[in-house]
Amino acid sequence: MNAFDKILLTPKNARRLLVTVAVGLLVLLMLYKAVYPILFDTYVGKSNAPLTYANSQPISEKELEAMATELSLNARRAAAEAIVGQDANAFARRVKVEMLMNTQSFMREHEPTHIKYFRDANILQYEGPKTCLQCHATIQVRHHDGRTSEVDTLDDIVNSVHFKFQSDGGGGFSTYGYDGRRVNAEGSRPIPVGKINRACGIPGSFSWTGWAALVESRPESAHGEVALRSEGCGQCHIGGNYQPATEKMMPIGDVPDVAKEGIDCLICHSTEYDMNQRYVIRDDVGLRWNQDRTMRAALTVGRSTTKNCLNCHQHNMGGDAYLHNEAAKALGEKHQRLLHTGAKRGNPFSPQDDLHAAAGLQCTDCHVPEGHKIPRGRMGVDLVANDLPDVEVSCVTCHSTAPHNRSKHKALLNGHLDRIACETCHIRALQDNNVVLRDWVHPTWDAEEGIFTPTDIYRSGEVNKGFTFLWFNGNGTFLANALGNNPNGSTEYDPLMQQLVRIEDPEILAAVREQAIELKKTYPDIDVDAYVEAATDPLSQLTPEQLDERRRMLDQNLRAHMNDGESRIYPFKLFNAMMYEDMGNQGPFGAMILPFDYATYYETGDTAASVKQAIRDPIVQRMYQEPFKRYMMDEFMAYFGVSGGWKTDYPLVDGELNNVEPKWMRQMGSLMVNHGIQPVGRDCVECHSPSGILNYRALGYSQERAAELENLDIVENLRPAASLSATDGG
Amino acid sequence: MNALRNRTARPGAQRHPDDPCPPPTTGRPGSTKTRLVRLGWSLVLWLCLFAFGASAEPAGDAGDEQLAEAAADRHACLRCHAMSSLAYRDPETSEIIDLSIDRDGLAHSVHGELACIDCHRRSYRRYPHPDRPAPGDMDCIGCHEGDDQNLSRGWVDIDAEFKRSVHAVSDSPKAAGFSCHSCHDPHRFRPAAVGEPLAQIVRNHNGVCLSCHKRLVSPSSTSHDWLPNRDAHWTSVRCVDCHTPVADFANHEILPAEKSEKNCVSCHSADPQLLARLYHFQSEEDIARRGLLAKAVFNEAYVVGMSKSPALDRLSLAIMGLMVLLLAAHGVGRYLARRANRRA
Amino acid sequence: MTSLYLYPVWLRLWHWVNALLFLTLIASGVSMHYAGADWLMPFATARVVHNTAGILLTIGWIGFVVANARSENARHYRVRFRTLIGDLIAQTRYYMIGIFRLEPHPFHVTEAMKFNTLQQLSYLGVMYGLMPILLLSGWAFLYSVYLPETLFGLGSVWVVAMTHVVVSYLLALFLLVHIYIITTGETVFSNLRAMITGWHRESDPTRTETTAPTPRETP
Repeated sequence: MNAFDKILLTPKNARRLLVTVAVGLLVLLMLYKAVYPILFDTYVGKSNAPLTYANSQPISEKELEAMATELSLNARRAAAEAIVGQDANAFARRVKVEMLMNTQSFMREHEPTHIKYFRDANILQYEGPKTCLQCHATIQVRHHDGRTSEVDTLDDIVNSVHFKFQSDGGGGFSTYGYDGRRVNAEGSRPIPVGKINRACGIPGSFSWTGWAALVESRPESAHGEVALRSEGCGQCHIGGNYQPATEKMMPIGDVPDVAKEGIDCLICHSTEYDMNQRYVIRDDVGLRWNQDRTMRAALTVGRSTTKNCLNCHQHNMGGDAYLHNEAAKALGEKHQRLLHTGAKRGNPFSPQDDLHAAAGLQCTDCHVPEGHKIPRGRMGVDLVANDLPDVEVSCVTCHSTAPHNRSKHKALLNGHLDRIACETCHIRALQDNNVVLRDWVHPTWDAEEGIFTPTDIYRSGEVNKGFTFLWFNGNGTFLANALGNNPNGSTEYDPLMQQLVRIEDPEILAAVREQAIELKKTYPDIDVDAYVEAATDPLSQLTPEQLDERRRMLDQNLRAHMNDGESRIYPFKLFNAMMYEDMGNQGPFGAMILPFDYATYYETGDTAASVKQAIRDPIVQRMYQEPFKRYMMDEFMAYFGVSGGWKTDYPLVDGELNNVEPKWMRQMGSLMVNHGIQPVGRDCVECHSPSGILNYRALGYSQERAAELENLDIVENLRPAASLSATDGG
Repeated sequence: MNALRNRTARPGAQRHPDDPCPPPTTGRPGSTKTRLVRLGWSLVLWLCLFAFGASAEPAGDAGDEQLAEAAADRHACLRCHAMSSLAYRDPETSEIIDLSIDRDGLAHSVHGELACIDCHRRSYRRYPHPDRPAPGDMDCIGCHEGDDQNLSRGWVDIDAEFKRSVHAVSDSPKAAGFSCHSCHDPHRFRPAAVGEPLAQIVRNHNGVCLSCHKRLVSPSSTSHDWLPNRDAHWTSVRCVDCHTPVADFANHEILPAEKSEKNCVSCHSADPQLLARLYHFQSEEDIARRGLLAKAVFNEAYVVGMSKSPALDRLSLAIMGLMVLLLAAHGVGRYLARRANRRA
Repeated sequence: MTSLYLYPVWLRLWHWVNALLFLTLIASGVSMHYAGADWLMPFATARVVHNTAGILLTIGWIGFVVANARSENARHYRVRFRTLIGDLIAQTRYYMIGIFRLEPHPFHVTEAMKFNTLQQLSYLGVMYGLMPILLLSGWAFLYSVYLPETLFGLGSVWVVAMTHVVVSYLLALFLLVHIYIITTGETVFSNLRAMITGWHRESDPTRTETTAPTPRETP
């Protein structure tokens, strides 16, 4: 030992040792920085390249001044018009507006701030994050607990849900696997998961295969002419690269700098952002989403406003076809984005349909951002990712526990808060085009758009049709089912065997049957009875053994999480879809869903071919190999309720689908609805009557209590008064 | 939904039972009995009362019928009033007024078997209710005047005590309309149960005071700072132990701050046995909470007066003083001897 | 001038750490004992300080005992029973009378023996008698839960508390005497200096051989 030490510690040898270690470290660093990204890209079949945007053009100082004047005028006019409001005399109004616009203090307050900054810094071209970071390399973040900290701006945004679609593990997730474990809880192996139960055909984490697509549509009006249309997940996510932040899926490695340069700052921060610039472009490397990088948009940057959020989020609230969806009116100067006619939630946030929007509230008034992390609240069933799991977003934060002040019966109304969520009364209906049942497997030809679209076999915004009421304590399952229970600890309340798996409303059954008969004209193989049964009673697709297993898992794994915390009755939008599933990886709650290739799907309507095309994507092939199985798929399946781990039998053999079947998910998803809040709540008798909208028995009340709740004598006493109270704005 | 749970924010909510009848004047008023002894006695008395109360059930068919009727009445009211968020915002003060009644709390309370209309007017039977109670409604003494034979301290005495208390005499607008119900929630009111831990009893008791005197316990409060181990006192001593006259057990005669007890020795040092018991209780809790090692450093259980014996202190200080004098004299002697030597 | 190296580094270090802890313990102890003595140390601080210093004192004491047992320093604590009575009388007589007559010191410091008998006995008593009792009672205070309910028919916490207080008064008394006695060296500060430098110095080397040494004292 000593001899060894002596040899080692001669000055010469010590120096050699030092040099070796240093070189070793350097080599490792180089491998990580230079070689790993290349290997990774090769492995998952993705590529990165510097991103250029045609609309990122330098302008002259003169042009800047002209633009500045115009933008300043626009901003001032908009503000002045809002203040002046309606005046009976249009001319008088115009004069007032112009007076105000040229008032000194008003000008100071309403001129876009960055015009001056850009002028002073002589910035004449907007080049993406690079330009922003010149001044905003770091930002001050004020946290909900009052702390402040300084963070690296780029790092902050790259590690937010908006960019990477997942959040870092550790506490706060409210999603539970069917195996009873909280997803990515501390101590478990964190896996990348973001959204669950998506209404689109690219479910789960398949945003890789559906990031950007150019679809050749043949609209009838163009008589066979091909029109290119844009489609894909990238339209709503802020990365501008050829794929989502795949690198972030792995435990090591970072998104390459070139990809970070593709971040679209302006879609969230510019008031003049032109959604017509948002379409798919093709370059030498592949397909990606264009964005607005004009100086015009850059000059109007500021804090995110409702308008910015709704550029994307009206898509999942009001829907693309919603009358007041502004972004859906600017579909692109070319390759126009395809509209999804069925709404994902059908509860819009707009002055016309939401009283908070009408009151001029900004999204960030409730979802108070901390830097680029935006809270979604502690409750939620259809998002696993949550940047700020500890931050509350709730009605009582502003409204207190006694929100009703006008009604004579305010105390009684307030009394309901203990069991009933505000949304239960104040969202009376969803939009009519709210999709409940969507068949991806049997598309319909849309002559107007010239594409095949999935067939929505049932849409409704009506209560107990498009949405229903469930107990909810903030927990959700891995496939988006609200968890909660009647505070009486009922074992009768059993949503995953009842409310979410059985459609018994004769109107719905008739409507589904009608659609099935219609589909049979195109797809003669359809057995109408079987089709209706599978769609409205998805458990009929399970074997008796699977049903038993399902029962066991619900009782042993989920019951405890249903009884957690405090449950209230919330409204939930219902949704189910028929898709192709890999039957090798099936459990009592569903099987692994396979993605569609957008272009093939929309152009040919050949759904099987579309699936084949999509799963040829290298990353899906990797998914069916050992390293991915070990790294995430085994864990994923465990949460999914599939026992025995991930089976790596690739479902495409000799060009044919193998062990793949079209199926309805074994239960409907329940999506939380919190927007589209209406000032007038429900009337007492809507719930408190034998034919009320709440099924008290199914909600776990005893026979006796249910009868009492259905026939409240005092409700009869205050019938007329209650109608009056319905005008209470709270 | 945290705000919804935040009951303390709602005046009147969660008021815990206070002692319905103050402890008897068994001790000689003005004797050396300490406040801790008082606390001990109060507990004993509660337990006795509890046992006594349990045996004094009404009986007979007529009683049963009455009970059933009362139960039906309660059920009807609780259909609304058991909703824990039954409340409204007072248009004048903007405060949230809680109207909810805890079903279990009522069932376990001393009034648990009464019909609601026994105290509230019959007109409350129908909804909507009258705007405010009629005079004479909800009057404790009105019902309880005849109950005095069971108690060593009568309701009349309590009434007299209350009328002397700062709550009744104060002309502060905050004390306006102060009544029994300001502290005692008749819907939860019950004597302490057998086996209820001391700390729990103290907490419930003090909860009554703190439901109004909230600011005392805010993190930035400097109130009671002069008191060593302030927080420990608050968890182990009832407010009324210091804030009512030491001499007699007038629990309802709340004293103004400046007249309240401030002399530590009133509790500490007189009866080492009692102190030792308190110390033990604290220490066990400490260890359970923080573990052995942390306990050694932070030992929160140290009780002032624990090691105190005035005689010993005086003796020791005297000996030490004497020693200082002695040594000083010795030093002077040495100095003088040296000086004499140098001269010689 | 003779110099004897009587106080090795570890001993001096221990001595001064011990002294510091003692003062800290007195300050914090007094402020707890006479609660309300906030000018000295706030109660909450005093509690933590007292406990921490007590723990350190225990460690120091154990260190002292171990080091003493393992080093040559132990020999200074060996009582010479043969001459005990005579030495004791001589030493006491010296402090009571001799010192005022400027008589020579009855005890002569050597490398083999640095304590006079009176010193030896008081140090033995303090380090091996009072200190362990003080420390034990202190620890007993901290973990009183594990003590029996009563000791000798008295509340055990009370017994512990009283022991702790009495012993600490005694030790405070010792400290007073100790501080005074160190001034009785050749000059007022010579003994203090010895405990700082480690060297015991005597100014008159020729006298060291005689039977009547100059009064020398070690603390």
